[in-house]
Amino acid sequence: MLEPPGSEAMLSGSALQQTRGRLLPVLAVLLTCLAVVGIAPYLLDTYSVNVLTRSLLYACVALTVDMLWGYMGILTFGQSAFFAAGAYSAGLFFTHSGFGPGTALAALAMGILAAIAMAVIVGWLAFWHGVSELYASVITLVLPIVCTQLLYSGGAFTGSSSGLSGFESIDLSVEAWFWTAGTLLATLTAAAWVFVSSDAGQVLVAIRENEQRCQYLGLDTPRLKILLFVACAVVCAITGYVFACYSMVVSPELAGFVFGTELVIYTVLGGRATLIGPVLATIAVDYESAQLSGDYPFVWKLILGSVFVVVIVAFPRGLLPFVGDLLRRATAAWRGSPRASTADLPIIDVLDPAEAIGTSAGSGAALRLEGVAKHFGSLKVLDGITLTAGAGELVSLVGPNGAGKTTLMRCIADGLERSSGRIEVNGHDIGRSPPEFCVRLGVGRKFQTANVFNTLTVAECLRIARARLDRPSVFSRSRLIRLPPAAYRTLVATGLDQKLDSPAGILSHGLKQALELTMVLALEARVILLDEPTAGLTKEERAVIGSILKDLVKVDGLCVLLVEHDLDFVRQISSRVVVLHQGKILLDGSVDEVVESHLVKSIYSGAGHQAGPT
Amino acid sequence: MVAQLLDVVSTAAILYAVAAGLLLVFGVMKIINFAHGALLTVGSYAAVVAGQYGLNPWLALPVAAAVGALLGIVIEYFVVRPLYARPLDAILATWGLGIVIGQLLTISFGRGVHFSEPPLRGVVDILAVDYSRYRLALIGVAVVIGVGISALLSRTRLGLDTRAVIMNEDLARGIGINSGRVRFITFAVGSSLAAAAGMLITPLSSVDPNMGTPWLVNAFMLVLVSGSSLVSLAIACVVLGGAQVLVSSYVSPILGGLTIAVLAAIILRVRPQGFAHA
Amino acid sequence: MPISRFLVGTSLAITLACGGAAFAQNITIGVPVGLSGANSVVAPSVVQAAELAVDEINAAGGLLGKKLALEVADDGSGAAGAQKAFDALIFQKKVNVLISMETSAARNAGLPIVTRGKTPFIYTSFYEGRSCNKYMYINAWVPDQQVAPMVDFFMDKKDSKTFFLIGSDYAFGRGMLSFTKNYVEKRGGKVLGDEYNPMDATDWTAIISKIRATNPDALLMSTAGGAPNVTLTKQLRAAGIKAHFGNLGLDEGTAKSMGADAEGTYLAGSYYTSVETPANTKFLGAMKTKFGEKLLTPNDLSTPQYEAVHLYALAVKKAGTTDAEPVLAALKDVSFEGPRGLIQMNKERHAPLTMYLGQVKPDGTVNIMSTFKDVDPGSQCPKLD
Repeated sequence: MLEPPGSEAMLSGSALQQTRGRLLPVLAVLLTCLAVVGIAPYLLDTYSVNVLTRSLLYACVALTVDMLWGYMGILTFGQSAFFAAGAYSAGLFFTHSGFGPGTALAALAMGILAAIAMAVIVGWLAFWHGVSELYASVITLVLPIVCTQLLYSGGAFTGSSSGLSGFESIDLSVEAWFWTAGTLLATLTAAAWVFVSSDAGQVLVAIRENEQRCQYLGLDTPRLKILLFVACAVVCAITGYVFACYSMVVSPELAGFVFGTELVIYTVLGGRATLIGPVLATIAVDYESAQLSGDYPFVWKLILGSVFVVVIVAFPRGLLPFVGDLLRRATAAWRGSPRASTADLPIIDVLDPAEAIGTSAGSGAALRLEGVAKHFGSLKVLDGITLTAGAGELVSLVGPNGAGKTTLMRCIADGLERSSGRIEVNGHDIGRSPPEFCVRLGVGRKFQTANVFNTLTVAECLRIARARLDRPSVFSRSRLIRLPPAAYRTLVATGLDQKLDSPAGILSHGLKQALELTMVLALEARVILLDEPTAGLTKEERAVIGSILKDLVKVDGLCVLLVEHDLDFVRQISSRVVVLHQGKILLDGSVDEVVESHLVKSIYSGAGHQAGPT
Repeated sequence: MVAQLLDVVSTAAILYAVAAGLLLVFGVMKIINFAHGALLTVGSYAAVVAGQYGLNPWLALPVAAAVGALLGIVIEYFVVRPLYARPLDAILATWGLGIVIGQLLTISFGRGVHFSEPPLRGVVDILAVDYSRYRLALIGVAVVIGVGISALLSRTRLGLDTRAVIMNEDLARGIGINSGRVRFITFAVGSSLAAAAGMLITPLSSVDPNMGTPWLVNAFMLVLVSGSSLVSLAIACVVLGGAQVLVSSYVSPILGGLTIAVLAAIILRVRPQGFAHA
Repeated sequence: MPISRFLVGTSLAITLACGGAAFAQNITIGVPVGLSGANSVVAPSVVQAAELAVDEINAAGGLLGKKLALEVADDGSGAAGAQKAFDALIFQKKVNVLISMETSAARNAGLPIVTRGKTPFIYTSFYEGRSCNKYMYINAWVPDQQVAPMVDFFMDKKDSKTFFLIGSDYAFGRGMLSFTKNYVEKRGGKVLGDEYNPMDATDWTAIISKIRATNPDALLMSTAGGAPNVTLTKQLRAAGIKAHFGNLGLDEGTAKSMGADAEGTYLAGSYYTSVETPANTKFLGAMKTKFGEKLLTPNDLSTPQYEAVHLYALAVKKAGTTDAEPVLAALKDVSFEGPRGLIQMNKERHAPLTMYLGQVKPDGTVNIMSTFKDVDPGSQCPKLD
């Protein structure tokens, strides 16, 4: 439901309530876990406490694997390298410089710095434009191998194959180490939980879902990936430091990719994107391995490997979600169907046009292309495209298939696409900027096939669209979505305002197109690129879209560039038509000029390729 | 100098033998088979068993190849086939399989280290340098493998179908090629090659349940750099293998072990071929 | 969520109750040893030696009225595995003593746990020396006892002036070779190079190239346990290297398994099966009787194990208890006539030993060329009693 715009006072009260409502249960669980950690050493024998301390620390690392893979879609085998950075930092400092408060702090700092450095290098290698997921994972596989070999090559300094041992470190009792590890794990898990269920966490999921759409919404996905990667690396390094202080032995296996892969295995078993699953799986498996490895070493590993393979093939979401689903189905009977509380519905706030910052208006036309060309090898797809469009113009781009229309759209929205030529948006040269920077200059692109986030609800999609302008919080969930007037109008006109809680994936084709258009408008872009917006729409839907587009230019003063095949639609709404043929502009004029032109008729009916541009 | 050159060529040959099977599977199925290391190990144990029964070591080769093919068929049917659409999951699943195979080998043979006799002993005098006869023989073997697979691909009907599937599977199926059968056969051949390679490298070092893993990573990086061409695999083996030998000799043997992985990663970053633009 | 956590906690508590059986009836000797990894070639023979000793003691009436039992754990021949093995033996299985042969990496990783668990530890492997711990005794040789005979032999009898040193890159490899380098240079020889490979590495090609290039008179190798020794020797032979092979870390058992490649290698150690003493004859007979066809060649890494178990039994009898402090004090004073002669760990926790210099014969046994009686271990742990 929508509330009338401007109900700020009521909003802040309920927003506060929501935050408290979300954080309180987390706090309660955290305190319970800490209590369990507190009494556990008195219930268990020394050996188990020792083993569990290690397991708890490994679980911290598995947590980062789930964050990166489950939530952001980066499959990483290399968290062990960061763990070892922290561990070896402690080992090296305590072995070669002795132990003291100064060295302890220095070791921690060095470990963290080393992890950050490695993470930045890996990030630069793995998260750049156009990289495939496979390559990124490959790099995370190479990292631990490189680290292990570097440790081996360190000779007496790093202890090579033996590692370092017997160094003095922080003197705590067995119980105290257990409490340290337990507290670290519980706190990290709680913090991670708060983060992934916040609005910022939603952005991670969106990136995993559809990275391309995120880039075209102005989100600098490579930078976000590197940020999260570095944050997780720091967490691993701190955990490794604690581990080294506890065990007083560091060996190259800690950096190895066998360990890194084991963590992935635990994440798979526990359930990706559940946080709790991988944590529990790590603790359970590591503990059992230690208990059974004396008596049944091979059989245990065999069982583990087999279960792992079965889980991947048959239960790709992992065991915890599977068990959770069973429980939910079992208890559904006496729980009854959940009543959706009205308190949770999103609230739309329409921005004052004056507030809409969007982009700064540069000098000059909204869109200017000069000599833009694109070729694949010797094939020229676009050649010498020069055109100018201003604010308040609705320019339709027409032409037979293969004329280069979508390519032209791509070149305007992504500075890396074109082979040569100059493109200016709002007076700013887009140069070789990737899509996210073009969005900042004021370009919004709507794709040919509806490109939205299928697993997110309509409201969540809109929130992601606003993420660049309305910074999402890292610990709370806001109910408020601020939209510029154009987006709000579209929402209401197409009926999407009634479907804010529907997952985008189940919307009808027409509504998906409408959603994508709304998302693009939410960017507060000044130049809107629409690729076949009426494809697959019914007559009524087409009429709605037509009037929306007309309002965009009349009321909001945007510059709209439209690729269309439906010439009637073009005639109704455009102020100007550009005809593209075989990569060149054939005709650029008013609707009447183009429609009456014999040239255009002939190229559409395929009669004669001898005609050149007039 | 001569010895160094022979080192480079024989190292390249060994890498080629190890990576060829993985390349075939990757080219056709776009899946990296992480059980490749375990299959290598299986082949090695075939050599050990042959030694234990006093058989001529060369006989271990067909045995290893047969066992590899059989395993490949089983793996393809139960694990790889359900995961056609999920390549990253396929990597994980085959890695898990590698663990399972490793444990089965450990249960059968114990976790200790085993050795096998080289089929060829002694040295050969080449240009005033004594060089291991067996290493030289391996160069020949690698050439045979390369020529053999190329011939299979270019001169047989199956090879033609395979090349079609490599280029565009949907189109190939559209014109009636049974891509399921092609995948099946490819995986069996790839696994068989892996086991054979394992048998061949055993006499140079030692056999234990985990010996395949370091080879897996190097083979994997070589395949990624090569895309799906056997020729570019040969080039990659010579260039990267050569770099490994040079770094091992002039810098340190330990850093030498890194060379292939690091160079491949950098090459792919600077000049992404094929797979890098998914 | 909180429910699952509680469930996990409870199930863990139940599981632990099932682990850790009570060993109240026995005196348990923990044997962490490299069943996998570099030492896996030798480890089974070590376990066999321990088993014979335990049998003999139990046949003679046990120890303090209780039976002696062995608890074997795999330390993976390395640091990470040793941590787990020592942890399991000391805290889960609650052994009374640790007696074993391990790589230096494993030993260094295990010592802090030994200290924490206050468990006596008899280390039965030859090693690089100077490892000292309140709870540890060593009955195997150190470089001060072994390197000199080999280098002297090469320089005096084989006219070797230039040496090339190869080792596994860990404490033992580096420690041995640094001692060797000093000794060679002190005697006026020249070390042309010293190269190391990680313990689990199997490719020696680059190092062999260097040897080919520098052409030394003799090679001195200090590689870990079984696998590295075998792969290095095989590859050296395959490359046709003509220098004299002196292996500071090779035991007879591994030499046998190498077959023809080992022939001609020079060894120095405190035990070979061809040593002719009444105690050795008796020992070999007993091993053959107990293990028959399955007998693995007793060697310089397994006989100290046999002797250490007996020494422990004697110390416990002398102290009248298995408590750590009295047993540690008694270990210094007891002595045992074993296959290697009379063993007593009374020189700063180490033992004077009779050393032999030998060469591997075609059938894998060792031809003893010289004997050095009661070689002193030098000053290893001056700070301990």
